Amino acid sequence: MVNPASAAYVMWYRQVKRFIRTRSRLVGAILQPIFWMIFLGLGFTSALKGAPVFGGIDYLTFFTPGVVVMAVFFTAFFSGISVIWDREFGFLKEILVAPASRTATIAGRILGDVTISMLQGVIVLTIAFLMVPNLRLLGVPLVLVAVFFTALQFTGLGIALASKLKSFEGFQLVNMLIAMPIFFLSGAFYPVNALPAPASIIAYLNPLVYGVDLSRTALTGAGFLPLTSAFAALAASSLFLLVVAVWGFKKATAE
Amino acid sequence: MPDIVVAEALTKTFGTLRAVDEVSFTVRRGEIFGFLGPNGAGKTTTINLLTTLMKPTSGRGMVAGFDVQREPQKVRERIGVLFQDLTLDRELTGWENLWIHGLIYGVPRGILKNRIRELLAFVELEDWAGSQVKKYSGGMQRRLQIAAALLHRPEILFLDEPTLGLDPQTRAHIWDYILSLQRNEKVTVFLTTHYMDEAERLCHRTAIIDHGRIIALGSPEELKRALGSEVVYVQLASKSLQETGRMAESLKACGEFSRVHVVRPGEISVSASRAPEAIPKIFEKAEDLTVKIREVTYHMPTLEDVFLHLTGRKLRDEEVSGMEAVRIRHRWR
Ligand SMILES: Nc1ncnc2c1ncn2[C@@H]1O[C@H](COP(=O)(O)OP(=O)(O)OP(=O)(O)O)[C@@H](O)[C@H]1O
Ligand SMILES: [Mg+2]
Repeated sequence: MVNPASAAYVMWYRQVKRFIRTRSRLVGAILQPIFWMIFLGLGFTSALKGAPVFGGIDYLTFFTPGVVVMAVFFTAFFSGISVIWDREFGFLKEILVAPASRTATIAGRILGDVTISMLQGVIVLTIAFLMVPNLRLLGVPLVLVAVFFTALQFTGLGIALASKLKSFEGFQLVNMLIAMPIFFLSGAFYPVNALPAPASIIAYLNPLVYGVDLSRTALTGAGFLPLTSAFAALAASSLFLLVVAVWGFKKATAE
Repeated sequence: MPDIVVAEALTKTFGTLRAVDEVSFTVRRGEIFGFLGPNGAGKTTTINLLTTLMKPTSGRGMVAGFDVQREPQKVRERIGVLFQDLTLDRELTGWENLWIHGLIYGVPRGILKNRIRELLAFVELEDWAGSQVKKYSGGMQRRLQIAAALLHRPEILFLDEPTLGLDPQTRAHIWDYILSLQRNEKVTVFLTTHYMDEAERLCHRTAIIDHGRIIALGSPEELKRALGSEVVYVQLASKSLQETGRMAESLKACGEFSRVHVVRPGEISVSASRAPEAIPKIFEKAEDLTVKIREVTYHMPTLEDVFLHLTGRKLRDEEVSGMEAVRIRHRWR
């Protein structure tokens, strides 16, 4: 019998080790959000001469909470979907013939991806406080909640998709048809509740919207959803995507 | 003692392709059993079926007393697998790879460190334990993979082309490992290969597989004995297919030779009980037909000859080897 806790631990260890080992990922994790905040956030703020925009705050302050959550989204989603790479490079087979319970190994992996995504979130949040003067320090715990659920659900979505895709040919397609729409309709750039009907309906189906809105409420008070509904939506979609991910992985074969 | 692997009409189809076609065989506890066959014969697919990575289309597989389809978990607890392709995490070090492997394969944490140290010494990689696997050579990666497969002391070890793409020295080294495992640790070994020398040197019994079917099974000696005692190899001066065919027909017609095969235009392989007596007869026939012979050689039969005589093809054609080199490079990238 394989101890499920050991199996889960060692999968967590692998994900974290890989993240720390890959310098380019760490550097990217720090530079990318800084670029967003400078080129987009500061850019728009100065173009608008610092005039208040959505929710009565300047653009940089409006945009920054979204940057934190988007960074977490990308890290989590692409870590989850890297199961495709494990399939391509053979490591997945090693796990599939292992006697450890699949639920334990995938749970460990998800926790590892959540850990590195949250690490990413904390790094960006720190940078945000250093660069943007008007954020509320008291909102931090709530942002961490938003970050946690965002990490959890997009790791789940990534793994669920990777269990279906057999090679990285499908990867470009997933990137175009799933990651990009989620990203642009996240509400990070502009409020999605003001969009015309079909787009706003799609936006409400986008799980990233709730994480962005929750952290915007926490850091600036300018969110559009009540805290409880944003939280409920996050928890529900996290649970759903986790179940799909574990179910998909348990059924995986080498074919 | 019951057989440790039993395959009964094991079948796997991919669309219309019957990759493994009603394959039946048994592996005895403690032996080295070989699956010898050319590229695409169905060797890896058979391993995938027996190691629970794929579900059979029909038929039954039993490993260590458990049905691979009904009790995959029980099977996984008893096997070690060396896959044909690289399965290590290249970003991690050798040590980290073994650590991960040990814990998902149930080695108790208290003894895992010692076990890893032992095995790194066994495959002579102690000095490389702290380096990322992507910095290893192909042979070193293969050895680390072997160490991983042994880490949890499996009852039976599946080795899919353990020496594919390695230089002769490393191959010989890995053969020694496999033999010492079987002798000292009493591990049963199921291995696949398309190197006939590997099958001859290592295996107690060998199944020859082609197009998903087992076409011969027995010890290398038995298989070779069935061919007659010597193989005479005739090279004609001309590479004309027609001339080669005429020559082969006339050799068959004279009734002295148990098997006559055209290897390729200009080359004929003949099995004979006594070569020194057969060779003059071959020259006589050639003279009758006014066919010019360039060279005649003879040797004790090899498994290569067995394969040739069963299928009319060579196991590893020289023309293929260029392509194969590309494939190996691709796999090891
Ligand atoms: N997942 C798959 N989907 C479709 N066809 C497959 C799959 N796996 C194997 N095949 C086909 O099944 C046949 C047997 O393949 P297999 O890999 O078992 O051969 P092999 O004996 O291991 O050959 P090699 O020496 O090249 O490793 C081949 O024709 C191969 O193309
Ligand atoms: Mg193969």
